[in-house]
Amino acid sequence: MIEVVLNDRLGKKVRVKCNEDDTIVDLKKLVATQTGTRPDKIRIQKWYNIYKDHITLKDYEIHDGMGLELYYN
Amino acid sequence: MANRTDPAAKSIRGTNPQNLVEKILRSKIYQNTYWKEQCFGLTAETLVDKAMEIDHLGGTFGGNRKPTPFMCLVMKMLQIQPEKDIVVEFIKNEDYKYVRVLGAFYLRLTGTDIDVYRYLEPLYNDYRKLRHKSPDGQFTLTHVDEVIDELLTKDYSCDIALPRIKKRWTLESIGSLDPRKSALEDDFEEEEEKEEEEEQNAELENGTHEKDYYRGRSPARERDRDRKRESHRYRDRDYERDRDYDRERGRGRDRDRERDRDRDRERDRDRYRLRDEKDYGRDREKMRDWEGRERDRRDRDRGRRRSHSRSRSRSRDRKDRDGEHRKRHARSSTSPRRHENGTENEPKKKKEKKEKKVDDGTDHPDPEIAEANRIRASLGLKPLRP
Repeated sequence: MIEVVLNDRLGKKVRVKCNEDDTIVDLKKLVATQTGTRPDKIRIQKWYNIYKDHITLKDYEIHDGMGLELYYN
Repeated sequence: MANRTDPAAKSIRGTNPQNLVEKILRSKIYQNTYWKEQCFGLTAETLVDKAMEIDHLGGTFGGNRKPTPFMCLVMKMLQIQPEKDIVVEFIKNEDYKYVRVLGAFYLRLTGTDIDVYRYLEPLYNDYRKLRHKSPDGQFTLTHVDEVIDELLTKDYSCDIALPRIKKRWTLESIGSLDPRKSALEDDFEEEEEKEEEEEQNAELENGTHEKDYYRGRSPARERDRDRKRESHRYRDRDYERDRDYDRERGRGRDRDRERDRDRDRERDRDRYRLRDEKDYGRDREKMRDWEGRERDRRDRDRGRRRSHSRSRSRSRDRKDRDGEHRKRHARSSTSPRRHENGTENEPKKKKEKKEKKVDDGTDHPDPEIAEANRIRASLGLKPLRP
């Protein structure tokens, strides 16, 4: 179980607990429950690398405590 | 300048009509090539020509959320605000299905509740196929009536949040709308009678257990069938509300659902009894267990094939199953033979069952994790693994 921090630099900072084998879609759904936006409106990036939906967090090497950027579509 | 709304346009829902599309999507449309090239200086007439050229529906697609030409034209219509007659013409035309859907979409966004129902419901009869571009860029198949159903029942379509409209039965109860007349009304009754006979024959053919046979012929079933017929006689008056609830989900499924709701009710009754037999068949005898499961599976398959109202029957199942189980347990058999065979299998199987039940981690000692697991379960994800 890892905890990921997502920050949109406009006031929303969200800490989400998830498994490493969750996909990005699952992470977006969890973020959506906390922020209140729709999951398909959320975009997760790390400095111009837009994270694709079907890949797991483990494959993206997202570790515990890592910060990701939250953008909106 | 090209992006400003026509100054003569009225405000919709209290705001600039273009604001119906939210900010990010709006900016994406303004930056889109199709918008800049093709949609510059369009009037109502030239818009029709552009609309005839569209060949797919959709919202935004791809990694950077590119809008489809359909979206751009919707935006253009919001910008120039054509007259209602023109929009109705779009909807009424039979030749170009995408023009029809474009008009329907625009009316859903801007029209009053009564207009929306009045002009969109006839489109339920249109079965033509449409191409829909999904957010990942692939094309999928859909139909005109499916799209109209989405527009009337859901509150989000093609990446635009649809404005709220009153429910149909509210409008009917205040008298602004007439009750819905399905185009299939006449076919309905004879279809339904034919289906009933078929189902009875099918049950007999399956060579079901005697008990089932009895249940099939039980007076309860007759009663149900009569109740169903009664309901159709009083359809127009008393069961409006139920019918409307069905209609919210689409005309095509309307008659299936009414038929299935009654059938579900009696099948549920069958199903609880079968399931209870399975449960304490497991404690007692292996043979009976296998039989019960077979029956249950057969019934469940039959149910799945016919019934569309799964959620309702299942929740009722779960609620009643506990009550029934307790009732049944009181009448359990105490034969010595059954008792012996039961005890060996009992502890192992009971433990398996218990482990499965608590698998979603919502009773974790740490309340934060329990809460997170609860949310995950509601989203359909597995629980957190430490």
